[in-house]
Amino acid sequence: MRTIAAAGLLFLLFFGPDIFAQDFKPSKTQFMIRGYGHSGLNYEKVNDEDPDVSYVGATFAPMFLFKHSDRLLFEAELEFELEDGEVKVGFEYANFNYVLNKYITARAGKFLLPFGTFMERLHPAWINRLSTLPLGFGHDGVAPSSGIGVELRGSAPIGSGKINYSLYMINGPVLVTSAMDPEEAGMLRFENFEDNNGNKAVGGRLGVLPLSNSSVELGVSFYNGLAGNTGSQYENVAASLYALDFSYVKQISAIKGILDIKAQYTQSNVSDANYYEMAPGDTIPVSYTFANTSNAYFAQLSYRPSMASGFIKNVEIVGRYSTLATPEGAEWEQEASQFAIGVNYWLSWRSVLKFSYQITESVGGHGNTGANTTKGMFAHWALGF
Amino acid sequence: MNKIKIISGIIAVMILTITLYSCTAQRAAASKKSGAQLWGENCIRCHNIPSPGDYNDVDWETIGLHMRIRANLTEEEIVKIVEFMKTVN
Ligand code: HEC
Repeated sequence: MRTIAAAGLLFLLFFGPDIFAQDFKPSKTQFMIRGYGHSGLNYEKVNDEDPDVSYVGATFAPMFLFKHSDRLLFEAELEFELEDGEVKVGFEYANFNYVLNKYITARAGKFLLPFGTFMERLHPAWINRLSTLPLGFGHDGVAPSSGIGVELRGSAPIGSGKINYSLYMINGPVLVTSAMDPEEAGMLRFENFEDNNGNKAVGGRLGVLPLSNSSVELGVSFYNGLAGNTGSQYENVAASLYALDFSYVKQISAIKGILDIKAQYTQSNVSDANYYEMAPGDTIPVSYTFANTSNAYFAQLSYRPSMASGFIKNVEIVGRYSTLATPEGAEWEQEASQFAIGVNYWLSWRSVLKFSYQITESVGGHGNTGANTTKGMFAHWALGF
Repeated sequence: MNKIKIISGIIAVMILTITLYSCTAQRAAASKKSGAQLWGENCIRCHNIPSPGDYNDVDWETIGLHMRIRANLTEEEIVKIVEFMKTVN
């Protein structure tokens, strides 16, 4: 009996994989979980105050991809983040994609907006070459990052280069009024799960890759929509944003490595409106207004000696300059510029150790009036899986 | 603010030089290029380049469709790239 069992076992051991392999056919539908984890240590010092040193981020962002056929794809990403001892769950995106033909793909759901390139393509911790976001992105950013609605996108070869485009219609932005938050009156909030007015925001981007080697891309984006609540005094307040982006990435033998340049300029214009403030001693709120225009800009350059040998080919150096200017006369008036430099060590194509130093000079900003110099040092890691 | 001008200036000059340099590189439409070449040129634009061996055939199909949409690659490019990935992984 034992010999039979042993023979059976041996048989299975030798031939089992073959038997199973014959039965194994990849299914037409495929489900895949990918994503990334990220965390780090921040040291920040404002002027001569005591520095603030803390571990941050502890982010775990699983991404789900479900390929139903060669044309239909579902993508979703959640973001679990540890903040102030609590787990915050973010819902980055969830959308259906259907490839209509060679040149057009339709999407519906919540998606990252191709408004400029930073938020859609470059912000994940394993892609972003620095530990921080450029000024003007993230919390209080001047650019929208995601939206709920529908989109058509695609690309086509033109001459020896190619173009790509996107056109979307989403729940538009919300204008912050004095009643909502006096400190932020006039700001736009882009997280708008239920539309506050019947008007949808319309936006799009056109990208041009003029060279046959795809190394250069120039993009123009726009985003327009009404921002005030229907029926309120702000009902006709419109937001109109645009962005310009540039990208150059190429492995160049003369410098034995990859040169990567990314830049984006973003401008936001909101129609004039009256906001209200209560000065100390006043009994009735006083109205005020300002030219509601903000802009932000960043340019980043990185270099990795990818053609060198050994340890050095995984090292990358990066520098980034960014600025942010918010409206003069607003409670959140601010003028800031930031310079960041960093060294990265790539453990794999999507796992990295990042070390950086940055200095931010700002005047104004939330609850601030004077000028501030903030110096920061960051040691972060990101791991894509 | 002077610092801004200097840095912007340096970046502008670099961009210009590189663009001019790239313009002289050979021109060939995607239809004349191999999957390997298209992979090398396109998959480094946003993140580091993944190697074919990083995923199996089934995964490459899914990733191919995902990147075709997210990265706005043309149908021809992605078909050739996925084919290449599946051949050499
Ligand atoms: C235009 C920018 C861009 C280009 C070009 C690009 N990718 Fe990506 N890729 C991304 C972004 C953004 C993500 C992250 C998606 C997320 O987490 O939301 C990603 C994620 C991935 C992932 C992780 C799994 C997944 O599907 O999300 C793989 C693998 C990948 N890319 C492979 C490729 C390959 C192969 C190419 C070349 C054909 C390519 N990428 C070109 C932007 C790009």
